[in-house]
Amino acid sequence: MSTVDWKNFEPVLIPDIKDLHKIDVYEKNGGYQALKSILTDKKKWADPKSVVNEVKEANIRGRGGAGFNAGLKWSFMPPADGGARYLACNGDESEPGTFKDRKIFEYNPHLFIEGALIAAYAMEITSIYVYIRGEYLPYIKMMEKAIEDAYDKGYIGKSIFGSSFNVDFYVHSGAGAYICGEETSMLESLEGKRGYPRVKPPFPAQKGLWGRPTTINNIETLSHVPAVINRGAQWFKNIGAPTHPGPILYGISGHVNKPGVYELPSGIPVIDLINEVAGGIRNGKKLKAVIPGGSSTPILRADQLEGITMDADSLRTVGSMLGTAGMVVMDEDTDMVDVLWRIAHFYHHESCGQCTPCREGTGWLEKVLLKIKNGEGEVRDLDLLLDVTTQMEGRTICALADAAAWPVRFTINRFRDEFEARCKKSVHALA
Amino acid sequence: MTYEFTTEDLKEIEKIKSRYPEVKPATLPVLWIAQNRFGHVDPDVQKLVAATLDLPEAHVHGVATFYTQYYKEKKGKYVLDVCTCLSCQLCGGYDMLHYLEEKLGIKTGETSNDGMFTLNQVECLGACGYAPMLQITNDKYVNNLTPEKIDKLVDSLKKGEEPSYEKMEMPLRKNN
Amino acid sequence: MPQVIIDGQTYEFEGKHKLLQFIQDLGKEVPFFCYHPSMTAPANCRQCMVKVGQFVKDRETGEYELDDDGEKTIRWFPKLQTSCNIDVADDMIVHTQETDALVRRAQKDNLELILINHPLDCPICDQAGECPLQIQTYKYGPEGSRFEVKKVHKPKRVTLGPRVVLDAERCINCTRCTRFTEQISKTHQLTITSRGDKNYPTTAPGREFDDPYSLNTVDICPVGALTSADFRFRARVWEMNQTPSIDITNGKGCNIDLWTRDNIILRITPRYNGEVNDHWMPDDGREAYKIFNENRISRPLQKLDGEQILSSWNNSIATFIEQIEVRDKKEILFIGSPHASVEENYSLQQFANLIGINEVVFTNHIESGKGDGFLLTDDLAPNATGCRLLGLKEQDQTELKNRVKAATMIVLVSDHFVDRGVLSTTDLDGKYLISFATNHSETTKIADLVIPITTAAEHAASYVNVDGRIQRTIPAKETKYSNRSLNLEMSVSRLDRYGTNFDNWVTEDNKVDCIPLWNFISEVANASGLELSFDDGRSIMNKISDKLKTFENVSHEAMDDQLGIQLSLNPKTETPKVK
Repeated sequence: MSTVDWKNFEPVLIPDIKDLHKIDVYEKNGGYQALKSILTDKKKWADPKSVVNEVKEANIRGRGGAGFNAGLKWSFMPPADGGARYLACNGDESEPGTFKDRKIFEYNPHLFIEGALIAAYAMEITSIYVYIRGEYLPYIKMMEKAIEDAYDKGYIGKSIFGSSFNVDFYVHSGAGAYICGEETSMLESLEGKRGYPRVKPPFPAQKGLWGRPTTINNIETLSHVPAVINRGAQWFKNIGAPTHPGPILYGISGHVNKPGVYELPSGIPVIDLINEVAGGIRNGKKLKAVIPGGSSTPILRADQLEGITMDADSLRTVGSMLGTAGMVVMDEDTDMVDVLWRIAHFYHHESCGQCTPCREGTGWLEKVLLKIKNGEGEVRDLDLLLDVTTQMEGRTICALADAAAWPVRFTINRFRDEFEARCKKSVHALA
Repeated sequence: MTYEFTTEDLKEIEKIKSRYPEVKPATLPVLWIAQNRFGHVDPDVQKLVAATLDLPEAHVHGVATFYTQYYKEKKGKYVLDVCTCLSCQLCGGYDMLHYLEEKLGIKTGETSNDGMFTLNQVECLGACGYAPMLQITNDKYVNNLTPEKIDKLVDSLKKGEEPSYEKMEMPLRKNN
Repeated sequence: MPQVIIDGQTYEFEGKHKLLQFIQDLGKEVPFFCYHPSMTAPANCRQCMVKVGQFVKDRETGEYELDDDGEKTIRWFPKLQTSCNIDVADDMIVHTQETDALVRRAQKDNLELILINHPLDCPICDQAGECPLQIQTYKYGPEGSRFEVKKVHKPKRVTLGPRVVLDAERCINCTRCTRFTEQISKTHQLTITSRGDKNYPTTAPGREFDDPYSLNTVDICPVGALTSADFRFRARVWEMNQTPSIDITNGKGCNIDLWTRDNIILRITPRYNGEVNDHWMPDDGREAYKIFNENRISRPLQKLDGEQILSSWNNSIATFIEQIEVRDKKEILFIGSPHASVEENYSLQQFANLIGINEVVFTNHIESGKGDGFLLTDDLAPNATGCRLLGLKEQDQTELKNRVKAATMIVLVSDHFVDRGVLSTTDLDGKYLISFATNHSETTKIADLVIPITTAAEHAASYVNVDGRIQRTIPAKETKYSNRSLNLEMSVSRLDRYGTNFDNWVTEDNKVDCIPLWNFISEVANASGLELSFDDGRSIMNKISDKLKTFENVSHEAMDDQLGIQLSLNPKTETPKVK
C-alpha cells in the first residue's frame, strides 16, 4: 500500500484564508465559479446529467458515515416531472466523536452553499433545506447569514447567473435528537414531526419530503462538490486512498495532545494521525484503543493498528469502519467498562422508541453494563450482552440499533479480560 | 397561565410558514420562537403553538416531548448542560459535572433555590475536541473546562454576564 | 400469472398485496402486533419477520439462473423482512416461522424484547384471554426471560378520557391508537409522548380523549394498555358468549358483537363489515348494552282505575282483541316504528290489513347534526328505510298529530313519542293507547296496555340501514321463553359448553318476561280466528321475500353469508332502458 503524502497537503475544504466565511472573500478566492461554470458553460456542462456523471466519477464517498458514492446517490432521483424536488443537507452531526461539519459552517459556509446549489442544479431540485442540530445555535446563525448574503448576490433565488435555474435555500434547526441524523428521521423532523425513521422502501429519492423526490447529503460531502467541478473528478480521485478518495475532515478527540479538526487526505495511517498530527498521547501515556469514526464504529486495540489507514477498506481488514472520521483516542488508563457503559447510555438515551429491538434492547444493554460497571455483573452477563446485540442488529427500521449493538459486541470481544475482571465470581457454586 | 406571542413573533412565524409547502413543518421552529419568548414550552405554551399554527395540541405535545432541547417546564435563568458523553467522559466531563453540583449545591437535573441555575447532564454536543465542555441555555459553548474556568463562569453568570462565542481554532491554520 | 412460493407452496396472485395480509388471507399465520389492515403499516413492532428471496433471472435472456444442482438460484434479502410492508412479487420465495429456524429465532428474540418491560402479570390483566401478546408469546415466545434488571415504570390507571383508561406500562408502542385518531377518526387527540423506552400514548396535557370513536382504540390495542372504563374487570372473555348483531342506535347499522354473561349484555364491540363499518363503531352504539339490560318491561301491564298493574299474557291478549272489536276500524291508528325490525313492522302491517286497516304509519327519528359522515347518522333509528320499503306511510309530526287526533285507539310499536317530543301527553289524552315496548318510558307510562316485546338482543330480525343494506340480528340473551341450548342460533360460551352447574349459574331474574311482537300478533290472530300465524323472524323474512320484489333475494341465510344484502332503493332508475 502506497503511503499517502499528507504532510504536503493543501487544504481544500477549509483553506488557510482569513475571513473566508465572508462572501466577498470567498468570491475573491474563486468562489461560486463552479456554480457559474455549470450554469453558463454549456460546452463543458451540457446538461444536469453531465454534472451528476462528473460527481459520480469522482467517487465522493458520503462523509456522514455510510460512505456511499454521492454522485451515484444523485443518479437515483427519478426524472423531473415539474413538481417539487428537494435536497436535504444533513448538518445534524450528533455521533459522539464527530465535530467537523461545524467547521465548514464557521470557516467556509459558502463552499457548502455552492456545493449544495450545484447538487440542486444537477438533480433539478427546487428547494434546499439544511438541517442543523439545535445545539449549534452560533452555526445556525452563521449559516442564515451566509444564505442571506448568497441570496443578495443572486447565487440563490431566481434565474441564477441568468440561467433558468431557480432554487430556494432554508435553514431548519433541530432541537436535540441524535436520531435526526438518520436521513429519513431527519425528513420527519423537517416535516415537523417526531423524528421517527421511515420504513424503506420507498426510498427518499422516490418519496422523500412531503412525498416528493428528495436526496440527503452530508455537509462535508456537498462541500467537496465545487472543487470536483472546478478541478475535475480525476484530480479528486488522486487524493488519498484510491477506493475512498479525497480530503477528509478528521475530528480527533480524547487523550491526545492536540485534539481538533484536521483537513487531510483520506488513507492517512491511524498511528500518524494520532502521533504526528494530533501530537501523541497526553502526559506521555501509551495508546490503548481507538474508535476510528464516531462512537458506533467498532473499537480497535492499539495492537490492531499497525499499517492501518483511515479509509473504509483498510479499516475493514481489522473489523472497523471509517464512519464520520471522528476519532476518539484512549490512553492506557482508560476503563473500557466505563467507556462502553457510557456509549450504551448514549444510545439508550437517543433511541427514538419507534421499533421494538432498539427501544427495548438499548435499555437492556445499558442496564446490564451498569450492573457490570458497579461490580454486580457476572460473566454470563457478558454472553447475554453479546446475545442481545444479535437480537437487535439488522432487525430494526433504521441503523441506530446496529450502531448501539456494535460497540457492545466489539468492545467486549476485544477487551474481554477487562470485562471479566470486573464481574463477580459466579454466585452459583460449582459443587 | 396564558401566553401570547408578540406581533414580531407572529410576523416571524408567518415568515417561517412561507418556507414550507404546509404548516406542520413550522412546528419545530415555532416551538423555538416560543421557548425563546417564554423560556420554556410548558403545556400552556404548547397549546399556544398549536392554536397559532392551527395544528392538533397532541401533535405539538408529541413533538415537544421528543426533542430534548425544548424545556417542558420552567428552568433556571441559566441552564448548564454539561456533556459527559464519550470524549468528554474521557477528558473529565463527570468531574466537571460533580464540581458544578458541589459548587451550586444542587444535583444534576435540579434548579438552584434562587432560580439562577439548572444543572443537566447531556449527550454529545459536537465539541469532542474541546472536552470537557458545557453549553449555556441552548446557546454558547464553554470549552476545555477546568474547575478554575467553571469558577469564573459561574461568577460572571451570577453578575448576569454571559460569555461570548468561543471560537475553537483548527490547529493547522495560521489565519484564524 | 405471477407466483409466490410460501413455505414451499406455490400460490398464484393478481394485483398488489402486502405479504402479511396475503399470508393471512391464505388462512396461514405470521405473528404481528402493529399491523392493522385499515391503517398504514409502520412496521414498528418488528414481529412479522419472514425470510424473503427472489429467483435470479438473467437480465438479457430472461432465463432463470441455475445453481450446480440445476435448481433455480435464489437471492435472499440480506436481512429478514417485516412481511406487513413488503409487496408480494412474482418469483418471490418466502419462509415463515413454519419452515425456517432463523425466522422462528427472530420472532422469539423479538418477543423477548417486547416482554422485558411489559408487566408479566397476565392473571390480573383485563386483556388476558383475548390478548394478542399473550397468545403469541405462548405460540412463538421464549420459555422464560433473561431480563434480570429493573423494568421501566410508567403511569398506570390513567383516565385518558371518559371511556378509556391507560396502563402505559403494558403499552408496546405499536401506535395503533395514535394512528387511529390520525387516520380513522381524524380527531388527532392522541400522540406518543417522550422518547425511547419511556414513550407511551397520551393526549395533549389537560385534554380529554373524548373522541366519539375512542373505544375503538381499546379494541385494536394488542395488549392491556387501553381498556374500557365501563367494562374493565367486569368479566373474563371466556365467561362470555359472543353473538353477532347490528347496532340499533342509529341508521348506519354497524355490525357488532354482543357479549353476554348470564343473560346480561356486558359489552358491545364492532364486527368487521367492509361495506358498512369496516372494523369500527361509534362509542354511542356501545352504550346500547344498557337498553338491553336495564329498565326492561317484564310481563304485560294494564291500566286499572288509572293505574298500571301487572297483567297476564292471556288477559292482555283478550284486552287487545276486545279493544279492537268495540271500535270502528277507522278510529284505530296503527303506528309502526323505525326502531323496530322489518319483521316486526311487517307482522303488524299484515295484522292491520287483515282486520281492514290498510294504512300503518311511522315517523322517523331524526336529530340534525348528529351525523358526521362516518358512522354516526342524523337518523337515530336503525330501520326507517325498512319501514319505507314495506310501504308504511311516513308521517311528519303535524301529520301524525292529526292522525292521532282523529283516532280513539292507538297501537304503538317500539316508539317513545312522548319521550322524543313527537307527541305530548295531551295529544294522547282520552285515547286508548296500546304500547308494544321493550323498555319503560314516559310513553309507556301513560299506555292503557303495555306489551313487553323482545329487543334486538333477543330476537332474530332484520334492519335496513340508511344506505339500503339489510342486515340481521341473532338472539344473544334468553327470555323467559327461549332457551340457549334449544335455540340452535344462540351462541354458547366455553362455560355453557363445558361448565358444570356449579361453574355456570343462571340467574332467572336476568331473563325478561317478553315475547317477540310477531308471536303476540299470532296469539291474537289465533284467538280471534284470523288466518295469520308467524313462527319466527326467519320465516317472516321468507314471506316478505316472496311477496315484495325489493326483498326478493333476502333471507336470513343469505344475509349471514353476505354480511347483509344491499337492496335496490329505487329499482326504476337502476335498470335503465336500452335504447
